[in-house]
Amino acid sequence: MIGCAEFILIYDWTFEYLRRTQGEEGLRAYWEECISQDSQLHARELIIPNGFDGMEEYWGHTLAEEEAGYTSVRTPDAFRIDMYACPSQGLLKAHGQANYHDYCEHCMGWIEPVLREAGFVVHHEHNHDCKCWWEIVPAASPPPPSEPGGLAGADDIRLNAEWQTGRIDCWVASRRQ
Amino acid sequence: MAAPDFYFAINATFRWMLERCGEGGLREYWRALGRQHYAPLTERLKEGGLPALRDYWESFYAEEPGAKVSLELAEEALVLTVHTCPAIKHLRAHGREIMPLYCEHCTHVSAAFCEPAGIGVKVEGGRGTCRQVFTRGDRS
Repeated sequence: MIGCAEFILIYDWTFEYLRRTQGEEGLRAYWEECISQDSQLHARELIIPNGFDGMEEYWGHTLAEEEAGYTSVRTPDAFRIDMYACPSQGLLKAHGQANYHDYCEHCMGWIEPVLREAGFVVHHEHNHDCKCWWEIVPAASPPPPSEPGGLAGADDIRLNAEWQTGRIDCWVASRRQ
Repeated sequence: MAAPDFYFAINATFRWMLERCGEGGLREYWRALGRQHYAPLTERLKEGGLPALRDYWESFYAEEPGAKVSLELAEEALVLTVHTCPAIKHLRAHGREIMPLYCEHCTHVSAAFCEPAGIGVKVEGGRGTCRQVFTRGDRS
Protein backbone atom coordinates (compact mmCIF):
# COMPACT_ATOMS: atom_id res chain seq x y z
CA MET A 1 0.00 0.00 0.00
CA ILE A 2 1.06 3.54 -0.64
CA GLY A 3 0.44 5.44 2.57
CA CYS A 4 -0.23 9.06 3.37
CA ALA A 5 2.64 9.12 5.88
CA GLU A 6 5.16 8.41 3.12
CA PHE A 7 3.33 10.32 0.42
CA ILE A 8 5.76 13.22 0.08
CA LEU A 9 8.55 10.78 -0.75
CA ILE A 10 6.33 9.10 -3.35
CA TYR A 11 5.26 12.49 -4.71
CA ASP A 12 8.86 13.55 -5.34
CA TRP A 13 9.65 10.18 -6.92
CA THR A 14 6.57 10.47 -9.13
CA PHE A 15 7.60 13.93 -10.36
CA GLU A 16 10.90 12.55 -11.63
CA TYR A 17 9.20 9.46 -13.09
CA LEU A 18 6.83 11.69 -15.05
CA ARG A 19 9.62 14.01 -16.16
CA ARG A 20 11.55 10.99 -17.39
CA THR A 21 8.62 9.31 -19.14
CA GLN A 22 6.52 12.28 -20.27
CA GLY A 23 8.80 15.30 -20.12
CA GLU A 24 8.43 18.55 -18.18
CA GLU A 25 5.24 19.29 -20.13
CA GLY A 26 3.68 16.03 -18.95
CA LEU A 27 4.65 16.82 -15.37
CA ARG A 28 3.02 20.26 -15.58
CA ALA A 29 -0.11 18.64 -16.97
CA TYR A 30 -0.07 16.30 -13.96
CA TRP A 31 0.07 19.21 -11.52
CA GLU A 32 -2.78 21.05 -13.23
CA GLU A 33 -5.10 18.24 -14.33
CA CYS A 34 -4.50 15.71 -11.57
CA ILE A 35 -3.49 17.64 -8.48
CA SER A 36 -5.21 20.98 -9.04
CA GLN A 37 -8.44 19.76 -10.65
CA ASP A 38 -8.92 16.38 -8.94
CA SER A 39 -6.87 15.85 -5.78
CA GLN A 40 -7.35 19.38 -4.48
CA LEU A 41 -11.07 19.54 -5.16
CA HIS A 42 -11.59 20.53 -1.53
CA ALA A 43 -9.34 23.57 -2.02
CA ARG A 44 -11.22 24.57 -5.19
CA GLU A 45 -14.57 24.26 -3.45
CA LEU A 46 -13.43 26.64 -0.73
CA ILE A 47 -11.37 29.15 -2.70
CA ILE A 48 -13.21 29.62 -6.00
CA PRO A 49 -16.59 30.59 -4.54
CA ASN A 50 -15.33 32.21 -1.33
CA GLY A 51 -12.09 34.00 -2.24
CA PHE A 52 -10.07 35.18 0.75
CA ASP A 53 -12.47 33.52 3.22
CA GLY A 54 -11.91 30.21 1.47
CA MET A 55 -8.14 30.68 1.46
CA GLU A 56 -8.15 31.34 5.19
CA GLU A 57 -10.18 28.22 5.80
CA TYR A 58 -8.21 26.00 3.42
CA TRP A 59 -4.70 26.99 4.39
CA GLY A 60 -5.56 27.25 8.06
CA HIS A 61 -6.71 23.62 8.01
CA THR A 62 -4.13 22.16 5.66
CA LEU A 63 -0.99 23.79 6.94
CA ALA A 64 -1.98 23.15 10.54
CA GLU A 65 -2.60 19.48 9.70
CA GLU A 66 0.78 19.22 8.04
CA GLU A 67 2.30 20.93 11.10
CA ALA A 68 3.73 23.61 8.89
CA GLY A 69 5.80 26.46 10.19
CA TYR A 70 4.04 29.45 8.72
CA THR A 71 2.20 32.66 9.39
CA SER A 72 -0.61 34.26 7.42
CA VAL A 73 -2.08 37.72 7.24
CA ARG A 74 -5.14 39.06 5.49
CA THR A 75 -5.88 42.60 4.37
CA PRO A 76 -8.79 43.90 2.26
CA ASP A 77 -6.62 43.44 -0.87
CA ALA A 78 -4.35 40.50 -0.13
CA PHE A 79 -3.92 37.15 1.55
CA ARG A 80 -0.31 36.48 2.45
CA ILE A 81 1.51 33.38 3.72
CA ASP A 82 5.08 33.35 5.00
CA MET A 83 6.42 29.82 5.24
CA TYR A 84 9.57 29.43 7.26
CA ALA A 85 9.67 25.64 7.67
CA CYS A 86 7.97 23.84 4.81
CA PRO A 87 7.11 20.39 6.21
CA SER A 88 7.04 18.80 2.81
CA GLN A 89 10.48 19.84 1.63
CA GLY A 90 11.76 19.39 5.18
CA LEU A 91 10.77 15.72 5.06
CA LEU A 92 12.61 15.25 1.78
CA LYS A 93 15.72 16.88 3.19
CA ALA A 94 15.51 14.74 6.33
CA HIS A 95 15.51 11.66 4.08
CA GLY A 96 18.22 13.05 1.82
CA GLN A 97 15.85 12.64 -1.12
CA ALA A 98 15.64 14.89 -4.18
CA ASN A 99 14.59 12.83 -7.16
CA TYR A 100 13.06 15.75 -9.07
CA HIS A 101 15.32 18.76 -9.52
CA ASP A 102 12.79 21.39 -8.39
CA TYR A 103 10.30 20.00 -5.90
CA CYS A 104 9.08 23.48 -4.88
CA GLU A 105 7.72 24.07 -8.38
CA HIS A 106 4.71 21.83 -7.78
CA CYS A 107 3.00 24.31 -5.46
CA MET A 108 2.69 26.93 -8.19
CA GLY A 109 1.81 24.07 -10.54
CA TRP A 110 -1.45 23.35 -8.74
CA ILE A 111 -2.22 26.52 -6.78
CA GLU A 112 -1.95 29.02 -9.65
CA PRO A 113 -4.71 27.34 -11.72
CA VAL A 114 -7.06 27.44 -8.72
CA LEU A 115 -6.32 31.12 -8.10
CA ARG A 116 -6.71 31.94 -11.80
CA GLU A 117 -10.20 30.41 -11.84
CA ALA A 118 -11.04 32.25 -8.61
CA GLY A 119 -10.02 35.62 -10.10
CA PHE A 120 -6.71 36.10 -8.32
CA VAL A 121 -3.04 36.33 -9.20
CA VAL A 122 -0.14 35.59 -6.91
CA HIS A 123 3.20 37.16 -6.15
CA HIS A 124 5.45 34.37 -4.95
CA GLU A 125 9.04 33.48 -4.17
CA HIS A 126 10.60 30.29 -2.85
CA ASN A 127 14.21 29.71 -1.91
CA HIS A 128 14.43 25.90 -2.32
CA ASP A 129 15.34 25.69 1.36
CA CYS A 130 11.96 25.27 3.07
CA LYS A 131 11.07 28.95 2.88
CA CYS A 132 8.62 30.81 0.65
CA TRP A 133 6.03 33.54 0.61
CA TRP A 134 2.75 34.01 -1.22
CA GLU A 135 0.82 37.22 -1.73
CA ILE A 136 -2.52 36.56 -3.37
CA VAL A 137 -4.25 39.61 -4.82
CA PRO A 138 -7.25 40.28 -7.08
CA ALA A 139 -6.46 39.75 -10.77
CA ALA A 140 -8.64 42.68 -11.81
CA SER A 141 -6.55 45.32 -10.02
CA PRO A 142 -3.45 43.66 -8.56
CA PRO A 143 -1.33 45.77 -6.24
CA PRO A 144 2.42 45.22 -6.65
CA PRO A 145 4.27 42.89 -4.28
CA SER A 146 4.62 44.43 -0.84
CA GLU A 147 7.96 45.66 0.41
CA PRO A 148 9.60 43.29 2.92
CA GLY A 149 7.76 43.69 6.21
CA GLY A 150 5.04 45.76 4.60
CA LEU A 151 2.21 43.27 5.15
CA ALA A 152 3.57 40.63 7.49
CA GLY A 153 5.78 42.81 9.68
CA ALA A 154 8.54 40.91 11.43
CA ASP A 155 7.05 37.60 10.22
CA ASP A 156 7.94 38.43 6.61
CA ILE A 157 10.24 35.60 5.54
CA ARG A 158 12.24 38.01 3.38
CA LEU A 159 13.55 39.52 6.62
CA ASN A 160 14.75 36.13 7.84
CA ALA A 161 18.54 35.83 7.97
CA GLU A 162 18.40 32.51 6.11
CA TRP A 163 16.14 33.71 3.29
CA GLN A 164 18.94 34.67 0.93
CA THR A 165 20.90 31.47 1.51
CA GLY A 166 18.77 29.58 -0.99
CA ARG A 167 18.29 29.97 -4.76
CA ILE A 168 15.24 32.19 -5.15
CA ASP A 169 12.64 31.70 -7.88
CA CYS A 170 10.20 34.57 -8.34
CA TRP A 171 6.71 35.12 -9.78
CA VAL A 172 4.94 38.49 -10.04
CA ALA A 173 1.21 38.44 -10.76
CA SER A 174 1.50 34.70 -11.50
CA ARG A 175 4.21 35.23 -14.13
CA ARG A 176 7.64 33.76 -13.66
CA GLN A 177 10.33 36.44 -13.62
CA MET B 1 0.17 12.11 12.23
CA ALA B 2 0.30 12.37 8.50
CA ALA B 3 -2.21 14.36 6.52
CA PRO B 4 -4.85 11.87 5.33
CA ASP B 5 -5.88 14.23 2.54
CA PHE B 6 -2.82 12.90 0.74
CA TYR B 7 -5.01 9.89 -0.05
CA PHE B 8 -6.87 12.25 -2.40
CA ALA B 9 -3.64 12.81 -4.32
CA ILE B 10 -2.82 9.11 -4.47
CA ASN B 11 -6.29 8.29 -5.84
CA ALA B 12 -6.11 11.20 -8.32
CA THR B 13 -2.64 10.18 -9.48
CA PHE B 14 -3.82 6.66 -10.31
CA ARG B 15 -6.87 8.02 -12.16
CA TRP B 16 -4.80 10.52 -14.17
CA MET B 17 -2.22 7.87 -15.04
CA LEU B 18 -4.96 5.48 -16.18
CA GLU B 19 -6.58 8.13 -18.39
CA ARG B 20 -3.28 9.27 -19.86
CA CYS B 21 -1.28 6.04 -20.10
CA GLY B 22 -3.85 3.24 -19.98
CA GLU B 23 -3.88 0.20 -17.68
CA GLY B 24 -0.46 -0.93 -18.87
CA GLY B 25 1.06 2.46 -18.15
CA LEU B 26 -0.50 2.62 -14.70
CA ARG B 27 0.77 -0.86 -13.82
CA GLU B 28 4.24 -0.01 -15.07
CA TYR B 29 4.21 3.09 -12.83
CA TRP B 30 3.36 0.91 -9.82
CA ARG B 31 6.02 -1.64 -10.73
CA ALA B 32 8.68 1.01 -11.27
CA LEU B 33 7.77 2.62 -7.95
CA GLY B 34 8.08 -0.73 -6.19
CA ARG B 35 11.41 -1.56 -7.81
CA GLN B 36 13.06 1.83 -7.54
CA HIS B 37 11.67 3.80 -4.60
CA TYR B 38 11.42 0.76 -2.36
CA ALA B 39 14.79 -0.71 -3.34
CA PRO B 40 16.21 -0.21 0.20
CA LEU B 41 13.25 -2.17 1.60
CA THR B 42 13.96 -5.00 -0.85
CA GLU B 43 17.51 -5.15 0.49
CA ARG B 44 16.16 -5.39 4.06
CA LEU B 45 13.83 -8.19 3.00
CA LYS B 46 16.66 -10.11 1.35
CA GLU B 47 18.40 -10.12 4.72
CA GLY B 48 15.45 -10.39 7.08
CA GLY B 49 12.80 -12.28 5.11
CA LEU B 50 9.23 -12.46 6.33
CA PRO B 51 9.99 -11.22 9.89
CA ALA B 52 11.47 -8.05 8.38
CA LEU B 53 8.36 -7.65 6.24
CA ARG B 54 6.16 -8.05 9.32
CA ASP B 55 8.15 -5.32 11.07
CA TYR B 56 7.79 -3.09 8.04
CA TRP B 57 4.01 -3.44 7.86
CA GLU B 58 3.67 -2.93 11.63
CA SER B 59 5.51 0.37 11.44
CA PHE B 60 3.78 1.34 8.21
CA TYR B 61 0.20 0.90 9.40
CA ALA B 62 0.94 2.50 12.75
CA GLU B 63 1.44 5.75 10.82
CA GLU B 64 -1.71 5.49 8.71
CA PRO B 65 -4.69 7.20 10.38
CA GLY B 66 -7.72 4.97 10.83
CA ALA B 67 -6.00 1.75 9.79
CA LYS B 68 -7.03 -1.51 11.46
CA VAL B 69 -4.88 -4.49 10.52
CA SER B 70 -3.62 -7.73 11.97
CA LEU B 71 -0.48 -9.69 11.13
CA GLU B 72 0.14 -13.43 11.51
CA LEU B 73 3.60 -14.77 10.86
CA ALA B 74 4.21 -18.46 10.28
CA GLU B 75 7.36 -20.13 8.99
CA GLU B 76 6.34 -20.05 5.34
CA ALA B 77 3.89 -17.17 5.19
CA LEU B 78 2.98 -13.78 6.55
CA VAL B 79 -0.70 -12.93 6.47
CA LEU B 80 -1.69 -9.27 6.61
CA THR B 81 -5.41 -8.84 7.17
CA VAL B 82 -6.62 -5.33 6.50
CA HIS B 83 -9.82 -4.90 8.49
CA THR B 84 -10.10 -1.21 7.69
CA CYS B 85 -8.14 0.24 4.80
CA PRO B 86 -7.32 3.81 5.84
CA ALA B 87 -7.26 5.09 2.28
CA ILE B 88 -10.62 3.66 1.22
CA LYS B 89 -12.15 4.80 4.51
CA HIS B 90 -10.93 8.37 4.06
CA LEU B 91 -11.89 8.60 0.39
CA ARG B 92 -15.39 7.32 1.15
CA ALA B 93 -15.80 9.62 4.15
CA HIS B 94 -15.11 12.60 1.89
CA GLY B 95 -17.28 11.44 -0.99
CA ARG B 96 -14.38 10.98 -3.38
CA GLU B 97 -14.86 8.76 -6.42
CA ILE B 98 -12.44 5.88 -5.93
CA MET B 99 -10.71 5.07 -9.20
CA PRO B 100 -11.61 1.55 -10.40
CA LEU B 101 -8.15 -0.03 -10.15
CA TYR B 102 -7.21 1.58 -6.81
CA CYS B 103 -6.79 -1.66 -4.87
CA GLU B 104 -4.58 -3.21 -7.55
CA HIS B 105 -1.70 -0.99 -6.52
CA CYS B 106 -1.13 -3.05 -3.38
CA THR B 107 -0.48 -6.16 -5.46
CA HIS B 108 1.81 -4.50 -7.99
CA VAL B 109 3.83 -2.27 -5.68
CA SER B 110 4.31 -5.02 -3.09
CA ALA B 111 5.21 -7.61 -5.72
CA ALA B 112 7.80 -5.28 -7.20
CA PHE B 113 9.63 -4.86 -3.90
CA CYS B 114 9.02 -8.37 -2.54
CA GLU B 115 9.70 -10.67 -5.48
CA PRO B 116 13.39 -9.72 -5.88
CA ALA B 117 13.74 -10.75 -2.21
CA GLY B 118 12.18 -14.13 -2.87
CA ILE B 119 8.79 -13.29 -1.37
CA GLY B 120 5.58 -13.97 -3.26
CA VAL B 121 2.48 -11.76 -2.93
CA LYS B 122 -1.20 -12.62 -3.21
CA VAL B 123 -4.00 -10.18 -2.40
CA GLU B 124 -7.63 -11.23 -1.97
CA GLY B 125 -10.55 -8.87 -1.52
CA GLY B 126 -10.34 -5.11 -1.64
CA ARG B 127 -12.48 -1.97 -1.47
CA GLY B 128 -11.92 -1.49 2.24
CA THR B 129 -10.93 -4.92 3.55
CA CYS B 130 -8.51 -7.46 2.16
CA ARG B 131 -6.17 -10.33 2.97
CA GLN B 132 -2.60 -10.13 1.77
CA VAL B 133 -0.49 -13.29 1.87
CA PHE B 134 3.27 -13.09 1.56
CA THR B 135 5.05 -16.41 0.99
CA ARG B 136 8.64 -17.50 0.95
CA GLY B 137 9.80 -18.67 -2.45
CA ASP B 138 12.70 -18.56 -4.85
CA ARG B 139 14.39 -15.27 -5.58
CA SER B 140 13.68 -14.07 -9.09
